[in-house]
Amino acid sequence: MLSLAARSGGFSPYLQATSYAVAGPLKALIPPVVVKGDTMLVDTKKPFLTRESLNGQSPKCGPAVSVSINAKAGVRFAHTDIKVPDFSDYRRPELLDPKKSSQESSESRKAFSYLVTGATAVVGVYTAKTVASQFISTMSASADVLAMSKIEVKLSEIPEGKNMTFKWRGKPLFIRHRSAKEIAVEEAVEMAVLRDPQHDKDRVTNPKWMIVIGVCTHLGCVPISNAGDYGGYYCPCHGSHYDASGRIRKGPAPLNLEVPFYEFPDEDTVIVG
Amino acid sequence: MAASVCRVGSTVGRALAKARSPILLSLRRGQATVSYAQSLLGVPETRLTALDNGLRIASEETGHNTCTVGLWIGCGSRYETEKNNGTAFFMEHMAFKGTKKFPQAALEKQVESMGAHLSAYTSREHTAYYMKTLAKDLPKAVELLSEVVQSCALSEADIEQQRDVVLKELAEVEGSLQDVCLDLLHATAYQGTPLSHSVLGPSQNARTLSRQDLVEFINSHYKAPRMVLAAAGGVTHEELVGLAKQHFSGVSFEYENDAVPVLSPCRFTGSEIRMRDDDMPLAHVAIAVEGASADSPDIVPLMVANSIIGSYDITFGGGKHLSSRLARLSSEDRLCHSFQAFHSAYSDTGLLGIYFVTDKLSIEDMMHWSQNAWMNLCTTVTESDVERAKNALKTSLVGQLNGTTPICDDIGRHVLNFGRRIPLAEWDARIDEVTPKMVRDVCTKYIYDKCPAVSAVGPVEQLPDYNRMRSAMYWLRF
Repeated sequence: MLSLAARSGGFSPYLQATSYAVAGPLKALIPPVVVKGDTMLVDTKKPFLTRESLNGQSPKCGPAVSVSINAKAGVRFAHTDIKVPDFSDYRRPELLDPKKSSQESSESRKAFSYLVTGATAVVGVYTAKTVASQFISTMSASADVLAMSKIEVKLSEIPEGKNMTFKWRGKPLFIRHRSAKEIAVEEAVEMAVLRDPQHDKDRVTNPKWMIVIGVCTHLGCVPISNAGDYGGYYCPCHGSHYDASGRIRKGPAPLNLEVPFYEFPDEDTVIVG
Repeated sequence: MAASVCRVGSTVGRALAKARSPILLSLRRGQATVSYAQSLLGVPETRLTALDNGLRIASEETGHNTCTVGLWIGCGSRYETEKNNGTAFFMEHMAFKGTKKFPQAALEKQVESMGAHLSAYTSREHTAYYMKTLAKDLPKAVELLSEVVQSCALSEADIEQQRDVVLKELAEVEGSLQDVCLDLLHATAYQGTPLSHSVLGPSQNARTLSRQDLVEFINSHYKAPRMVLAAAGGVTHEELVGLAKQHFSGVSFEYENDAVPVLSPCRFTGSEIRMRDDDMPLAHVAIAVEGASADSPDIVPLMVANSIIGSYDITFGGGKHLSSRLARLSSEDRLCHSFQAFHSAYSDTGLLGIYFVTDKLSIEDMMHWSQNAWMNLCTTVTESDVERAKNALKTSLVGQLNGTTPICDDIGRHVLNFGRRIPLAEWDARIDEVTPKMVRDVCTKYIYDKCPAVSAVGPVEQLPDYNRMRSAMYWLRF
């Protein structure tokens, strides 16, 4: 019976070692023999947990300290001994004074926390959106492919009255250097006679340069320049006549020649596309 | 056949008329003789007088043959420091160990021979010593009380002996897990302030408090302006005042060095404390926010709000027909073994909370539905909820005052808290004023989006993290 409850602190040393604490019918009470051992120097500054040192912390009465080999050992304290640690290092300044009610600063503390959280959330959402769109945009067309979609033309190489054809996006691109007479004629055309009424002004940025896609709007053949009855283009496939503004005048084609997007970065160059 | 029945009937009627028993003949014999409103107004008035030294005397003459008379003192564990925490409790133990005039045996004999009960209690802000006795023994009772409070013997031998008793009580109270849980709730909610002190005090203080500490405590706190001599029962106010003049005129009203103890406000900290022990069978959890002080006008709507949540025990027979929604859920989904909504009101602060006992796998659900009940109070409480709660509250207020001792306790505490006794009719009127909008507004003020204090004892692994419990104090849908 090696488990013992240190009920009587003073007598406990005498109850140690092999001794029968309870006399049975066949066993007499064998008093323990106290063997004097070597005195050990104990460093009192170093705290250590023994029955003796714990005894000082436990209630003086009741089985509060129990030590055993084959049963639970422990020291029981009261719940009122539990000390809530001092969290002053973590407190906000308004809450450091324990004599001040926390209700007064409650609104401002919450407002600050929510503001910081809200701002962080907004910034976070935008960051996420940016990162996501950056990753997704890697799947879009690369620069060399995009570059192929534009064409830059030196306009000084096109003499007046001449129509130059360029390959652009797999289609023929007509750039015509129009003379002043041609421009005047085209601008004077009445809307009523046109199948697809469009004024010349609406089809050119600079009237000197007429830029259209050379694909017949009927069935897609390439019209011949400086041909036809109207001083413009003539499509040999089915006989569509276009004027110098690329508008359909005679023949089966329903619409005018398409005008692509272009801009003049300077006098001498045009970028189409 | 019919004729014989008629003859029997008329004979009985004549016999009853001869007996002239008013009860049997009265047409209203199933009904009460006074209505509720009449009974409220019929309550005898509580009379209040003050002595020259500031000691107040209050009594209600109820006409019983017995009476309860006692001294309610405005001091408790809140007035203690960390070093002397537990003094008020120790003092309560020492009080009945004999006085200068009556040694212990003599005191006991006096009390027993009257057939009286002498008891005391200590709380965080109040201490009470009271005696329950026959109305005719009032003079003796007041004399004994005055002896106990003013000239307690406080012998060293008794102090040493009582240490053991106090320590045993400390050990015993560990078994009452409700007290442990609520003590820990105070310890964490009011950390760093005097309200965090438990009434019992730490075991170290029980071992080291000296006679000097007790004497100092009495000298600083047992002062006449902070004392109320309250009585209820078959007592007349004039007799009581006379006895008080005779025995209590000597109570001091001056403080040494003019050091009047002033209660400073106590900071509430939203925090938690978990005492996890998986070997315990049930988990005891309490969650609370800072509530209203005892004299705040919000106290009545908060009491109504607590009545809406109500209380529950697994042994309630109502099952899914209970009126409180949380109780219905607890019963149907087996959420908990018991819960109660509580409001501990102190002089300038309070704790409004829910305490529940449940097994270790239902803690999360119970916490969710408890906070859900709070959110409902703040947002969607209905007219019928409030009506039901008002009736329940009125019933409980009236029903608690069912004897001279509860009435006397009521008087003592009211005079200490409010300076006067608040009559039942006034409580009734204030309760009637409460509307659902008022409940919603008041609950929003104290509960919505506030940091709670949580304490948990037992197998509490499933209790959610504090941040999650804090997040459940508001609803995104609003």
